[in-house]
Amino acid sequence: MGGAMIDRDSFMARGLRNRSFVVGGLLTLALIAIAALSLVWTPHDPLKIVIPKRFAPPSATHWFGTDQFGRDVLSYIMAGAQTSLVVGFVSVAIGALFGITLGLWAAAARGAIEEAVMRASDFMFAFPAILLAIMLVATLGPGAVNAIVAIGIFSIPVFARLTRGAANSVWAREFVLAARAAGKGTFRITIEHVLPNIASVLVVQATIQFALAILAEAALSYLGIGSQPPTPSWGRMLAEAQSRIFQNAWLAVYPGAAIALSVLGLNLLGDGLRDIGDPRLARKR
Amino acid sequence: MTLLAVDKLTVTLETARGPARAVRDLSLSLDRGETLGIVGESGCGKSMTALALMGLLPENGRASGRIAFAGEDLLALSEEALCRVRGNRIAMIFQEPMTSLNPLHTVGRQIGEALRTHRGLSGGAAKRETLDLLAKVGIPEPARRFDSYPHQLSGGQRQRVMIAMALSCRPELLIADEPTTALDVTIQKQILDLIRDLVRELGMAMILISHDLGVIAENVDRIAVMYGGTIVEEAPTPELFAALTHPYSQGLFAAVPKLGRAARRERLATIAGVVPDLPDMPAACTFADRCALAIDACRAAAPPAVEVAPAHRVWCGRSAEARAQWQPS
Repeated sequence: MGGAMIDRDSFMARGLRNRSFVVGGLLTLALIAIAALSLVWTPHDPLKIVIPKRFAPPSATHWFGTDQFGRDVLSYIMAGAQTSLVVGFVSVAIGALFGITLGLWAAAARGAIEEAVMRASDFMFAFPAILLAIMLVATLGPGAVNAIVAIGIFSIPVFARLTRGAANSVWAREFVLAARAAGKGTFRITIEHVLPNIASVLVVQATIQFALAILAEAALSYLGIGSQPPTPSWGRMLAEAQSRIFQNAWLAVYPGAAIALSVLGLNLLGDGLRDIGDPRLARKR
Repeated sequence: MTLLAVDKLTVTLETARGPARAVRDLSLSLDRGETLGIVGESGCGKSMTALALMGLLPENGRASGRIAFAGEDLLALSEEALCRVRGNRIAMIFQEPMTSLNPLHTVGRQIGEALRTHRGLSGGAAKRETLDLLAKVGIPEPARRFDSYPHQLSGGQRQRVMIAMALSCRPELLIADEPTTALDVTIQKQILDLIRDLVRELGMAMILISHDLGVIAENVDRIAVMYGGTIVEEAPTPELFAALTHPYSQGLFAAVPKLGRAARRERLATIAGVVPDLPDMPAACTFADRCALAIDACRAAAPPAVEVAPAHRVWCGRSAEARAQWQPS
């Protein structure tokens, strides 16, 4: 329940006892730290092309080896973390902003508006997200910005539905009736009573959507319609490594591992947050 | 002076079995500073009446008739205008203090909100007023409790906070819907005494709703007995208990457990039958199917109001016979 965050036990104390939260949190922190570090320092210039050194296997100078242009793979992956984070953050922000607003509106207004919002979400859900993202990017043209918009748009219904459902259950609670009896209007009740009580659920969903967005960006870039060269992107690294996977495996392994660890970290973090938010689950671990 | 005049209030609920009238043609009036008790068993429409007065019926409910509050028909007001009345001129206390407070906000903030919304007080003034209110409703150490979260308070304390919230804008009418049902018996009396004293002190009118005749009897000037969505008997408190007339009121009173050695040997009196589901409620006298005195006329037409004594009205076609059979125990 929503009230759990302010229970006897402090939020952090319970968090440290939750293994998913700790591991997920550390992986996510590492991702952020690497992206931040790459802004000021990378072992080599990630974009510098040194043709004579192409396809160098991992060594002391190039820990993760070099790619077909002789670029340092480790540096390139570090810089790629920025792309993943920006795409994840902005697209989740778009999805959450519009989705949560729509969901809150639907729950507050009920009736025809609620029906319309929910049927529109169902309509979006009926299509596989990645297919729609491809369609959208194909229409708008490839590029990181369009990929962000596409991924963001397709997380709107996810947030809208979740918010509507959670908000409806808060609207049915007695303290909302008491707030209405105290003369509060729909808008104030939504902001003061409904939103804070569903915030923990939304934070968890945002974390999971973040992971999905990183995956989606990698998929779009792999297909060549995400971020364009020379912007470093893990998905495109995979696409470029594909043809040489048996000769130069490191080209695929490291970016693949980066994607997997980031997504794993965010998912664990989301799971952990959910468990901490629900004291009934937390105690069992 | 009349504060509230309800005329032929009907609340219709859309149910899976079709429309059901939870409140039927209910009329009542209340003077400024007067206290009225509404008593009846679960499902008799007393809570629906309260919610209709507040304009807070559930989505499947519709109210018709007229609710004149200080001369203004509440049923005709816009939602926006109603928001200015709710909490400000009419306040309500609910049954469940455990769930009627938002778990995420401090007690002080929740009380202060009403002050800022309706009385436009600044933060500092609202805080001073809130501390006064907390002291007034008997919360020890108001300054410490101001920053408490609801889960840190006991049920009785939470209900005191709810009372403080309800009284914050000095409403003209307080509606208390089963305010003590969820509390321990020992706390019940404290809370009821508190409500009664504050109502007197502030000169508010009050509608106290309960299923418990004892709770009602000690705290109000006048009592209305409800059954099947309508008032079946209404009288000043002393007069009602001196001469309970409606067969349902008599049954309700007989069903109150009595104390003492003699009472232990007796079985608790009950009213025959069960309350019919709303769609099955008899059309004429709603109590006819469970009434020992019922005759064909009771099932043919709604009984008229009979004034059996000054200000004592009974909606019963057989009031003379019913009054004759009543022996106060």
